[in-house]
Amino acid sequence: MFVDTEIGAATPRRQYTPYVEYLLVAALVVVTIMLFFVMGFFSEASAETGQGRPQHFAGYVHPNDVGTGALLFPSKEPGSFVEAPRLATDVQIDVNGPILRTRVTQRFRNPSKGWVEGTYVFPLPENSGVDTLKMQIGDRFIEGQIKAREEARKVYEEAKAAGKKTALLEQQRPNIFTNQVANIGPGETVIVQIEYQSSVHQSGGEFSLRFPMVVAPRYNPDPIVQTVDLDPSSGYAVSDPVPDRDKISAPVLDPAENAKINPVTLTINLNAGFPIGTVATPFHATDVQTVDDMARVISLKSGSVPADKDFELSWRAAAGRAPYAGLFRETVDGKTYLLGFVTPPADEAATETTPKREVVFVIDNSGSMAGKSIEQARDSLALAISRLRPEDRFNVVRFDDTMSVHFPSLVPATPDKREDAIAFVRGLTADGGTEMLPALEAALRTQGPIEPGALRQVVFLTDGAIGNEAQLFDEISKNRGNARVFTVGIGSAPNTHFMTKAAELGRGTFTLIGSEDQVAARMGELFNKLENPAMTDIAVTFDGANAQDITPNPMPDLYRGEPVVLTAQLDGTSPAGKLQITGKTGDQPWRVEMDVAKASQGNGIAKLWARRKIDDLEANAYAVNDAATLDREIETVALTHHLVSRVTSLVAVDVTPSRPAGEPVASTDVPLNLPEGWDFEKVFGKKMLPEGQRKASLDQAEEQAMLVADRMAAAPTARAASLIAEAGNQVNLPQTATLADRYILIGLMLLAVAVMAASTFGLWRWQMRGLILEARSRVQ
Amino acid sequence: MSNKQMLDGRGGFLARLNMLETLVLAGISLVAIAGLMLVGKGFYMKAKAEVSQVLLKRSFEAQLHGVPNVKPWPWADFSTEAEITAPRIGKTAIVLSGASGEALALGPARLANTPAPGELGTSVIAAHRDTHFRWLKDVKPGDLLVVTRKDGTNLTFRAGSSRIARWDESGINADAPGRNLALATCWPFDATEQGPLRYIVQAELVSDAPQSKLSALPRPVQLPVKSF
Repeated sequence: MFVDTEIGAATPRRQYTPYVEYLLVAALVVVTIMLFFVMGFFSEASAETGQGRPQHFAGYVHPNDVGTGALLFPSKEPGSFVEAPRLATDVQIDVNGPILRTRVTQRFRNPSKGWVEGTYVFPLPENSGVDTLKMQIGDRFIEGQIKAREEARKVYEEAKAAGKKTALLEQQRPNIFTNQVANIGPGETVIVQIEYQSSVHQSGGEFSLRFPMVVAPRYNPDPIVQTVDLDPSSGYAVSDPVPDRDKISAPVLDPAENAKINPVTLTINLNAGFPIGTVATPFHATDVQTVDDMARVISLKSGSVPADKDFELSWRAAAGRAPYAGLFRETVDGKTYLLGFVTPPADEAATETTPKREVVFVIDNSGSMAGKSIEQARDSLALAISRLRPEDRFNVVRFDDTMSVHFPSLVPATPDKREDAIAFVRGLTADGGTEMLPALEAALRTQGPIEPGALRQVVFLTDGAIGNEAQLFDEISKNRGNARVFTVGIGSAPNTHFMTKAAELGRGTFTLIGSEDQVAARMGELFNKLENPAMTDIAVTFDGANAQDITPNPMPDLYRGEPVVLTAQLDGTSPAGKLQITGKTGDQPWRVEMDVAKASQGNGIAKLWARRKIDDLEANAYAVNDAATLDREIETVALTHHLVSRVTSLVAVDVTPSRPAGEPVASTDVPLNLPEGWDFEKVFGKKMLPEGQRKASLDQAEEQAMLVADRMAAAPTARAASLIAEAGNQVNLPQTATLADRYILIGLMLLAVAVMAASTFGLWRWQMRGLILEARSRVQ
Repeated sequence: MSNKQMLDGRGGFLARLNMLETLVLAGISLVAIAGLMLVGKGFYMKAKAEVSQVLLKRSFEAQLHGVPNVKPWPWADFSTEAEITAPRIGKTAIVLSGASGEALALGPARLANTPAPGELGTSVIAAHRDTHFRWLKDVKPGDLLVVTRKDGTNLTFRAGSSRIARWDESGINADAPGRNLALATCWPFDATEQGPLRYIVQAELVSDAPQSKLSALPRPVQLPVKSF
């Protein structure tokens, strides 16, 4: 094209010159635009190739999609699973004050005519841990036992070498319980029983618990459930590439029908620890029996289990103004474990005036926050700033390896200052390293004195990717003065340990925001705490009893909608004495005394104490120089109380009672010779339905089983089944090509074009000069 | 532009251009600057990868010799995990933990959801094909790969087969029996696009080699620090 323009330019007519110049400019512009297009096009193309293939066909699930306990079999679609038909589910939940103990027993069947290796998946609530696992596969009984990590591994290796059925569960992902179940024979049933401990959720005077009951997406008719792949660290979100999903979706199960096929029984022993006002189950029909004013027994009405809703139970205290305290105890191995809790006033009017606040927001915009994290942090912080009242004062500090303080000192939160700060926050990008200490110092030390009657709060938004925890803890505990430090954990894998401990030392709370859609709800809860402090300076003493370990230590402040729960270990089986809890509501001192001997019996307190003790030990790791000692301490506590932790694992070993020779192998549906202490009765249950209906539902169950069997990748032998299972359980690989070469290539191309254009231009100028000179000479 | 100055040879060249010509020149210089910037960015990425490895190596060695709290540079916010060496090819690299884009720009990284090398299961180390794992294509079956963990343990792996797979169909099971290592990088090696294919080298722990502390061993073959 340059050649053309050159020929045009060569025409020896002066008046055409501007026209030629225009042409040249146009040509250059076109070339430039084309180049940009080429670059743009390529980057788009690479984005497309990065995407995955169809992964979520209807009827296929991924472990992360699972909304309730499920046994997954590898399917014919690589990387996807199908759910084993669930024959029965029994749930028993004991509520003891703020403690929940849940026992789930489920019975599954391998509907195929081949061998298969399954994965049992159960989505756990936050802060809960499985401590018991019992399984029956065909006619073998397997029980999970807590062992030190190394020892568990040895047992596992030995059992495997001996050709026995075995499984190993180590703590890897905190809130999903997965366990491989090997060697399930044709048509065999599998019973899984797990027990876990968690705590009651509290919010604004309402206590609630939730049991996961959403049957996998395939039963959900309309919404296209978009899921993020199993691997939380890879960050690959796989988009839905199936345009005609509706057409290929599996037969949708009516919830009522589903209830017949997958019968669920659920019983809750609610022992609230305070007089119960109202009890509600918003999504399921239940029968509620009143035991006394503090206790209820709730059970599910049969046949009323919507498949698309988690079971939820909420209860409220009868109205009362004073914080209510409760005391429970449990005796284990000659020691008494106490659980005391203080519930803030159930009445909203109890906190009349909200004091002035002085808030320093600290936001981490280091490189580790890049992507979704910084977006969540910006949103959360903007929300927090917009909630300030004009009489509050605030400041914003941001840090990466540098740091800057937005206002020279605390400023009143007038609308324009708020706007200004929000604009500053919105403009933050994540880059650089993490130097948290100077920012923390700025927030704690350089913001001037606290005005009388005001509350100083430091809100820290970070993913906690730091190395100098000890220094930071030191800074917080030494310089926090009367300020309270609140930490907000951002992103899918924040350093919760650091942030929990930092909040504890700072007498604040830790809020975890895992995804974009949690920002509003979680920040809302935090605002409630920030704006409504209920009780401060809480101290616990035992009078006349020998308390060895009180957790948490130190006691955090008490906020509205949040109880303080303390656990303690006491010597002896029948301790006497008094437990004193003191605190301050505003300027009003408050004190409660409880008689230890009068504590009511509760279950699971020892485990809760142990879990908190382990958390405390882990949290204090920064102060312990010797990692081995710490590990030993944690191991001792975890082993004593049968908990999975960083240093202890559940290893499943065969505990099948030996069958007398000659006795026939019984039907797999009837558990013969259950090991002592095992209770699978509920999932074999009585046949509740009338004969006709039962037959119909059996037909349906059979139909469903056929569907599953059709999609399963069953194998003719056990060995082949384990190979198939391995193939399905794979690691996703990250993108490992940089664009460096591409940049260099395109850059060189651009340079070449520039050189070409420049020389053409030069040539043309030179010719023009010749022409002009020629013309002049002619004129002369 | 230099051409023009050469052609013209005199000062005041710009002054004698009319407006259109100035525009044309400006356009050309814009294209040239964009080109320079892209080339610069490309080389910056490569330089970053090289320089960081030198610094990482230094801090990793300090860590091995028991210096606590070493950081490759003051604002680093990640940890070094191990050193991987391919003695036959004479390449070595410091492995970081957690394969985020950030870490991968600085060195190979062990995927966070796989066990540490030498632990039960399959440890997966990934790195960029155009920087740290450029040498992966030269690893042949039977080659030894030496991994020095941050606790000083020296582990020897023997490379097995290599294969090409999609990123989401790696076939690598982190919990597979045995103590295995998988090295992954992008494939094809010479492409300049980011594609879905990965090149995977499987390696098995050589069990008869005693797992010894680094301190008990004479220093391994002195290898070049440069590792690309």
